[in-house]
Parts: sequence; C-alpha cells; structure tokens
Amino acid sequence: MSRRGLLVPAVLAALALTLSAAGCGARQAAADTLVFAVDDEPLVLDPHASPQDSAALFTRPVLDSLVSLGPDGRIEPWLATAWSISPDRRTYTFTLREDVKFSDGTRFDAAAVKANLDHIADPKTQSRLAAHYMEPYTGSTVVDARTVKVHFAKPHAPFLAALSEAFFGMQSPASLRRGPDVLARHVVGSGPFVIERYVPHQEIVYRRNPDYRWGPATARHTGPARLARLKFTILTEDSVRLGALTSGQADAIASVPPVTVRRVRANPRLRVETRPAPGGVYMYLPNVTRGVFADRRVREAFRIGIDYPTIVRRLYFGLFDPAFSPLSTSTPSYDPATRERWRLDRAAAGRLLDEAGWTGRDRQGYRTRNGRRLVVRWPFQRSVAREQRAELAELVQAEARRLGIDLRIGNVSQAEYFPRYAAGDYDLVDYVGRRIDGDMLRNLFATSFISTPDRFGQNGARYSDRRVDGWLAAALATDDQAERADLYARVQRRVMDESAAFPVYVPAYVLGVSKTVHGIGWSPLAYPTFYEAWVSDR
Amino acid sequence: MKTLWRHWTSPRFRVPRAVLVRLGTSLLVLWGAVTVAFAALHLTPGSVEQALVGPNTITPQARAELVTEYGLDEPLPVQYGRLVGRMARGDLGESYQLHQPVAEALGSQLGPSLQLAGAAMALAVAASLTLALLTAGRGRLVRGLSSGIELVGVSIPTFWTAIVLLTVLSFQRGWFPAAGADGVTALVLPAVAVAVPLTALLTQLLRDSLELALDEPFVLTARARGLSDLAVRLRHALRHALLPALTLAGWMFGALVGALVVVEEIFARPGLGRLVLTAVEGKDLPVVMGAVLVTAALYVAVNIVLDLLYLVVDPRLRGAR
Repeated sequence: MSRRGLLVPAVLAALALTLSAAGCGARQAAADTLVFAVDDEPLVLDPHASPQDSAALFTRPVLDSLVSLGPDGRIEPWLATAWSISPDRRTYTFTLREDVKFSDGTRFDAAAVKANLDHIADPKTQSRLAAHYMEPYTGSTVVDARTVKVHFAKPHAPFLAALSEAFFGMQSPASLRRGPDVLARHVVGSGPFVIERYVPHQEIVYRRNPDYRWGPATARHTGPARLARLKFTILTEDSVRLGALTSGQADAIASVPPVTVRRVRANPRLRVETRPAPGGVYMYLPNVTRGVFADRRVREAFRIGIDYPTIVRRLYFGLFDPAFSPLSTSTPSYDPATRERWRLDRAAAGRLLDEAGWTGRDRQGYRTRNGRRLVVRWPFQRSVAREQRAELAELVQAEARRLGIDLRIGNVSQAEYFPRYAAGDYDLVDYVGRRIDGDMLRNLFATSFISTPDRFGQNGARYSDRRVDGWLAAALATDDQAERADLYARVQRRVMDESAAFPVYVPAYVLGVSKTVHGIGWSPLAYPTFYEAWVSDR
Repeated sequence: MKTLWRHWTSPRFRVPRAVLVRLGTSLLVLWGAVTVAFAALHLTPGSVEQALVGPNTITPQARAELVTEYGLDEPLPVQYGRLVGRMARGDLGESYQLHQPVAEALGSQLGPSLQLAGAAMALAVAASLTLALLTAGRGRLVRGLSSGIELVGVSIPTFWTAIVLLTVLSFQRGWFPAAGADGVTALVLPAVAVAVPLTALLTQLLRDSLELALDEPFVLTARARGLSDLAVRLRHALRHALLPALTLAGWMFGALVGALVVVEEIFARPGLGRLVLTAVEGKDLPVVMGAVLVTAALYVAVNIVLDLLYLVVDPRLRGAR
C-alpha cells in the first residue's frame, strides 16, 4: 500500500483538531473522574507483545485475567471459576464464567481463551515477555464453550501466577484479528473500563464499562467501577508531576521521587503509599567469568566490605528497604534467612583481598597485584538511572575506595550497553526486574540465561552452576508451593554464599495521592489499580 | 537538445532556472541529511536488532520474525539503497518500535510541534519588534536595563524557564494547565518558554541594527520632512534593521527544534520531541529517517520563504541581478 500523500492530510487534520479544541485554565476534574499522572508510557499498548511495565499499567483497567493472585500468593478465580492440572502437569483445564462479554459485544468463551494464548505464542506477535513466560506452550483445545485445555511440552509451574498479570490479559478475539498495527494503540477487553481515547505522549482516557459484573475474587467491590472516568496523564518530569499533585491538577502521581517524599507526607492534603515490588531487587551483578570478580574472594570482599544497608537507609530515608537476597521480600519463595547470612566485616574483606594477592598499594591508596590496580569496570547507564541510582553508585564507590578497590562508574548509552553486555565485557552491571514468581531466579542465575549476541539473558553474573540449574528446573516441575519455596531458598543461599550477586535495595512503587482519593488497589506486580477507586468531594 | 540548452541559458529563463537550481540543491541537502543520519545510527555501537529486543527475553521464533519483517538481515548497502528508494517515492516506511507507518506517527506529532513552534516564533517576533522599537536610541539607563534583561533571557536554559513558569503560573496561581495540548491556554506557557531566548536574541540584534539605521543620513532627511519619531522608526529605519534579523531567523529555526524537544517533554505535549528521542534510543531507523527528512524539508522551506521575504523587505534586490 502506498502511503504517499498521507502526511499532508494527517498534519492538517492534527492542526485542525488542536486549533478547534476550546481551552480554559487548569480546571478541576469532576468528582467521579480520577486523574493519575504517570512517569512513563508504552511504545505499543498490546501487553501480549510489549515487555514494558507501563503497557501492563495502561491496559490493566481494560483487561481481565483468567485468574487473580491473592496477597498471600494464592491463585483465586476471575474469568475462570475453576481449574485442574493433569497428573503429568502438562495440561491445564479451565472452567470459564458464562456471563462475560467483551466491550465490543464479543462473547468471552473457550475459543477466546485459545485465541489469546495462541496470539501470545504466535511469532508474528513478536512478544518480548509474555511468550517467554509460557515458553513450553504447545496449544489449546476448546472442549466446549465453558471448558478449555491448555497444553505444555513440559511442566511449567509459573504459568498460573503469570496468567494473573496484565501481560496475559484477555482481549477480544475480534480485536486481536485487527493485527499489531491496531493493537499498538487500541486494546479491547472485558475489564471495568474501556479506552475512550489514547493520545501518545499526552494521555489515555478511559470510561466506565457499565455492564461489568465479573471482577476478580480478590476484590471487595462488585459490579461496575465507581469512577465514571479515569485519565492517565503522561508527565515524565519529576518536578512537574509533583507540582500537578500539590496543585490539585492530578489526584495521584506515580513514582514520587525519594527526595521529595517527606515534603508530600508533610502536606495535610496528601499521602504517600508504597508497595514493595516482587521479583528481582535492585542489585549489582559481578561478572564471575572474567576479570577481578572471577575470584570468589574478591566478590565476597565486595559483598561484606561495603555497608549497603546503611547507604540505602541514608539515601532513601527508609522509603526502600535494604535487600539481602536477589529476590524481593514480596515475592513468594523469598528466603528470609538470607538476612542473617550477611554481616558487614571490613577487616575480613581486607583479609580476603590480601589472600587473593591484592596486597600492594599504589600512590592513590588503591590495592595492586603485580603492579596492576584493582579496578572494577562498570558500564553504568546514567541517562536512564532512576531513583537516585547514580548517587547510590557514588556512595558505593566511596566505600569501595576504603577497601582499596577502584570502582569505575561508566556512562554508557543503551546502544553502547547491549553489545558489551552480550559479550561479557564488564566487571559489574546493575539489574532490577519485576516478576511475581520465584522463577525470577532462573532468569538471573540459570546457565541458559547467560547473554550471547543472539539471545539476551538476565544472568548478568554469567553464573553457571549445575546444582543451581537442577534446583531451578525441579522448581518448574512441581506445583507444591512448599517444595518450590525450599528449592528457591537453596538457590538464594547458594548464590549468596558464592557472592554471585550484591543485593542493594527492594524497589517499591511510591504513589503520591490526594486524601480525597479512596480505594486504590494494588496488582500483584505492585502497580495501582482503579477498579475500586473513588474520589470524595474536593 | 541544443535549443533546450539555449532556452536554459537565455535571460528569459533566469527565474525558472534559479528555482530549479534551488530545488536541486534542496534535494541534495535532504539526501545528505538522510545519509548522515543513516550512517550515524549504524556507527553507534550495537545492532538495531539488539536495540529492538532490549533487556527482554524473546523466543527464537519471535526474534527471527522480527529480523525478517524489517529486513535486518540484509547487508547495510542494500538496506540503505532500499531506504533511499522508498523515500524517493515518498514512502517513509513502517516504524520498528511502534507498529505504525512512519508518515502516520510523524503526522500525528507534527501538528502540535508546528503549532508550538509557530506560536513561539510569532511571540518572539512581536515581542522583540516592540521592545527594539521602544528601546533603540533611548537613554543609557533604558538601554542598559534592557540589554541586561536580554542577556539573562539568552543565558537561562529553556528547561529552567519552563519549570519556573509552571510553578508560578500553573501550580501556584492555577491560571494555566500544567500539561496537555487541549486549547489555547495549554499553548501559552510552552510557547513563552520557547520564545524567551529567541526574543532576547532578536531584540538585541534588532536594536543594534535599528540604531545603525537611525544614524543614516536618510533618517535626518525624513525627520526634516517633519515625520514623527515613531513614523521614522516604523517606516524607514525598521526596514533596514529587518535584513539581519531575517538572516538570524533562519538560523533560529534550528535552535527552535532543540528547544521544542525539551519543552514538549516537560509539558507532556504531543510532538516530534519525544517521538524522536525514543526512536534514536531504540535505533528505530525509519522514524529517525522520517523525522530527519521532515525537519530538513522544513528547514529548506523556511529558508526559501526567508529568501522571498528579503525581496519584499529590500526593494534593491528586486531589480536586475
């Protein structure tokens, strides 16, 4: 198809639209409308394709899931009323609600579930996340309108928890058929809200779905949403978002910068809500395959010789908790015992470095071995560093200096970063990743997740241990939560004993919200949800 | 062929010839801009494929699909040839990141950007004309004060101006909305933020050249004819002073594009700024190329318009050359 000549009419149309819109100052929204200022927007909306947290946030109001996840990590009904797993753990049978309709009028049934899962697995969708969460998926069969069977090539225990995420939200099959170009900017589901309009770089506006009466079992509210309208404004600048909240132009804002949390808390009209994010904590990963950190003693010195908890408490004023495990405290299978396994011991760290042969000192006071300085090269992506991670890095750098380690914090762009990362050309990288299952550990430490130029993997430590690989595989094959927790606990202890990760802090979603807003809920991934929200008189 | 050449070189065809040459060089400029941008994106480290996948785990099948869909496995010269060929036909291609034709992506963002640029430019021209006419050739105090203010105006970063405007006029007074692009009120603060440094620069230049013009003998003649001070300034001196300002205005267009990127980000206005930023970061080649092409075309167009304006302002240029 030729797109010649499309540009001019498009420009004229855009001009006409913006010019014709009437303006009037910074108005207050009506009482049944909630304005939420967010700090990020997705490149494409379709959460089946996009890996971005913002895609999940933007589509959650519109999409329901087959199951929901309770606060205790239990799987609860939503669009599926019941499910069973075959003895070989390779087939899931779901029984579905019968009264559910997508907002375009399409009926939700077994064929719709199949269409959604097939859409995620279809290579043409180019899924950057969801397809990976169900990689052994082989297909679905429609038994009858209410019953669908989902098949896997091998057992895949994280599937049910993943299903509760917006990345697996059920979309109207009619909408899915319209293809990626349409799904990139419009998504149709059965959720409590319907997308009214989406203006990239500006805002997304939802209106209430009046027919909604199939909320998740985890919600206290039933029936249609309380809000008639919901609007997300995209304000990437921290100070602007904060100003919008304090001036009442926004009812809630995402990611209150840690430095300003005190100011928001001091404001009598506002409050701050935080929720620790599940998955991988913000951590530093040493390259265990080459360079100075190939020596376990140097890694251990870097782990026990630096007072991460104190740095974190001072920098974030208690907003974020120090981390002691690569898994966040809110992840099922987090091992609390990891907390007891770390103790600051600078003297021991010094001894370890001596043992490793770094006994010399150069003029600047850094340790040397055979005349070469103990340098840790860290390709840091300063331009995308959030939450004062650059300041954090400098505080760690100062403590490393006390140990005689020259921590060199680079400043690389994303484009420069990936080739270096894929080639393992670094001593240290930082990482954080949201996920609601302990299977996160497989992404972080399984041999198959070491990056190559052809495949990105989150195993930044490039850590490879046959026992750890075995535990991680075993945890996929069982649905016994206690057994999985035990396997993941073993992994956490092992990688910490090996100093294959330096956990720094537990990231949290920091929501700034007006006291007139009530009932904001939290998704399992620690994102705010608005189904039960309402606004009292301003 | 020979007659064609004779026509081409004959004096009668002076104007069409000039236009054709001008168009030819403009095309060269556009081609050059596209080529430099293509080279720049490929010279920075990392493959397009790596940038597209990012820090995500993608199945091998999906990855293969991505590579074939956008022809990323072809040698670079082939990709380049394909790109230039497509652009020559007016087809900007499809964005790698957005699942959208580039023309559509640019088209939806160009309007708001042009609107802001136009408003800022109009504001800057009106303000600087007024200021320059009022302050040129006045007492030392007035001049010193205004050039001091102008110096500040040129020096403060647009980012800072934008935040101050927002804090005072939106967050504290509530006169203007902080964000968005709905209606005229949403346009005021961003336009002012962009216009401040432009106004400062233009005023300085206009005043200096106005003062030069006011010293010319023809001004004395005009005054001798009994014209009022304002009439002298408006009708005679200003015309002379406008020429260097026009030259500067052409250059300012470039500076404007940079300021737009910053201001659009702060005020959450749709526009080319964020579109291009994310495209460069993600090596979204078609979008970057399209944006480069559109910006370069606008730049060429602005300069052609300015050339025409010279003719309007300066009658000497209208005679035989």
